[in-house]
Amino acid sequence: MKGFRGSLTLCSWMLALSAQAESRFPQPQFDTGHVVPEAYHPSVTAVVSEGTDVALLFVALCVATWLVHRVRSRFWILAFSLLCLVWFGFVRQGCFCPIGAIQNVAVAAWQGGGLAWGIAAFFALPLLFALLFGRVFCSAVCPLGALQDLFIVRPLRVPRTVNAVLRLIPLIVLLFGVVYTLNGAGYLICRTDPFVGLFRRSAPLPLLLTGMAVLLLGMVIARPYCRYFCPYAVLLEVCSRLAWEPIKITKATCINCRLCVGVCPVEAVEIPREIPSASTRAGRFRLFVRLLLLAPVLVIALTCGGWLAGGTLLAPAHPVVKTYEAMVQYTPETEALYPAVEAAKKQKLTRELLEVQAREITQRFRVGSAVAGGILGLIIALRILGLSQLRRRAEHEANRTNCIACGRCYPACPKNVKTIQ
Amino acid sequence: MTGSKSPPTRRNLLSWLLRAGTGSVVAALVYRASGFHRSGRMVWQLDPRKCIQCGKCETACVLQPSAVKCTHGYAMCGYCKLCFGFFKPDAPRLDEAAENQICPTGAIARKFIEAPYFEYSIKEPLCTGCGLCVKSCANFGNGSLYLQVRHDRCKNCNTCRIAELCPAQAFVRVPEESPYLLKEKL
Repeated sequence: MKGFRGSLTLCSWMLALSAQAESRFPQPQFDTGHVVPEAYHPSVTAVVSEGTDVALLFVALCVATWLVHRVRSRFWILAFSLLCLVWFGFVRQGCFCPIGAIQNVAVAAWQGGGLAWGIAAFFALPLLFALLFGRVFCSAVCPLGALQDLFIVRPLRVPRTVNAVLRLIPLIVLLFGVVYTLNGAGYLICRTDPFVGLFRRSAPLPLLLTGMAVLLLGMVIARPYCRYFCPYAVLLEVCSRLAWEPIKITKATCINCRLCVGVCPVEAVEIPREIPSASTRAGRFRLFVRLLLLAPVLVIALTCGGWLAGGTLLAPAHPVVKTYEAMVQYTPETEALYPAVEAAKKQKLTRELLEVQAREITQRFRVGSAVAGGILGLIIALRILGLSQLRRRAEHEANRTNCIACGRCYPACPKNVKTIQ
Repeated sequence: MTGSKSPPTRRNLLSWLLRAGTGSVVAALVYRASGFHRSGRMVWQLDPRKCIQCGKCETACVLQPSAVKCTHGYAMCGYCKLCFGFFKPDAPRLDEAAENQICPTGAIARKFIEAPYFEYSIKEPLCTGCGLCVKSCANFGNGSLYLQVRHDRCKNCNTCRIAELCPAQAFVRVPEESPYLLKEKL
């Protein structure tokens, strides 16, 4: 790597020399005394300073917490989410956001420093709030969530098994997105944000169409991005599961009227259940043991799968591997198809040098993806094992991981209406 | 606050330990990543020494038209009458008529200074960052025209879409305070 950097520096130095030698036509001396102007280069225009940005996020999280836990009004949660949609979405225009910050934090933590503190704060604050108060960030602060929330018209029930399978996608995006970024292939998680084009009101057509499609899908499947794609939601779910003050449908005693079940768009209301009979429990236990034996198989299989996927799917996205592959396929007749080859020639990168680098990078991808696959297998195994565990539940409760604190159940609960009167 | 009122049971203690554990993992991660040092913001820029004018800047940017535009390093310019960055190689006549210009949007202005010298400047609102003039100027002229990310337009995406597609890997992050890589000053 060091040699590579050294050769790059040498190349750019030589290029700089050749650029000076490029001066084919010397600049004239003007008889009229014409002064050679200098081009104007506008400075960076940030909407607000980093400190204000972080302060506003903190205030927004505090207000959202207050609305979700104290005011407990769907109307005000919605109103505040609109405000946040306008500010964090359409005014600030997306970057940086906690979802993308996962990658910045991962890269900087891997290298051991160098991250702007504002990005670090954007990553940590929503997680710490989730650890205390549940997913208040998802409820009213996140512009992506707020936008999708507006499009919920008639949410369908997603079958339990389909839901469980789809909920693996965010995990896969998180684990493999981090591997992808750490190996220098780019920020995959940012690339898959469907709404950034809408926030900026300017984007290539495919990006805009994807955003629209996700919003339209959101009419029948509530918050599709949040539930079945958002990698940050995985982290928020872990924190929210341990929340000190979780979201409560009602503060009064539940009368088990089931009204909240129907209004929840993300199927996060848990219905009461009794402890099953001894024979069922024995059956569950046998199932548990069998699944426990299955777990290592799952982990090993996914580790191998990750190894293969890393080499064949992820590594070719790395620019060096891409350039090397272009060089392999390159023939002088098809030169126009491979600008990367031209660029490599300009930077005096030979095929042999690139081959060594490409092989090294592919190997790194394989190892990283194998680790990610192993972790994925472990989490899937734990989720399956979690299914066999049953605890008695007397009331309707908001599921700690899935509840996004949208507040739709607050006005639906007759106990809440009574307290208002 | 239900959490604080519930009696100190083992379950309660365990959940507090888990909470503190998760919190410290987040804190440790952030500490290792930033060290809470105030490091300035970085912005995207295009290194004109690496650029091969492939044309991706025009199409790959999340903005339409692109945040990359042509800029003119006047200090490097030869003030040629026959400018390769201005005229098409097969231009029928050497005047400002559209059919003679290499720029598809007519974004280069040509101004007579004194015989035989002309000054060329970029009309930025018209420029799409296609790099046609840049390529021609680099191949046949002094290379005083080059592409730069314009920071009045750039949204400074967490990851620049052009950077990902750039075959020359010419996109780099530079400090916010000096956000340009000006060819005449490099």
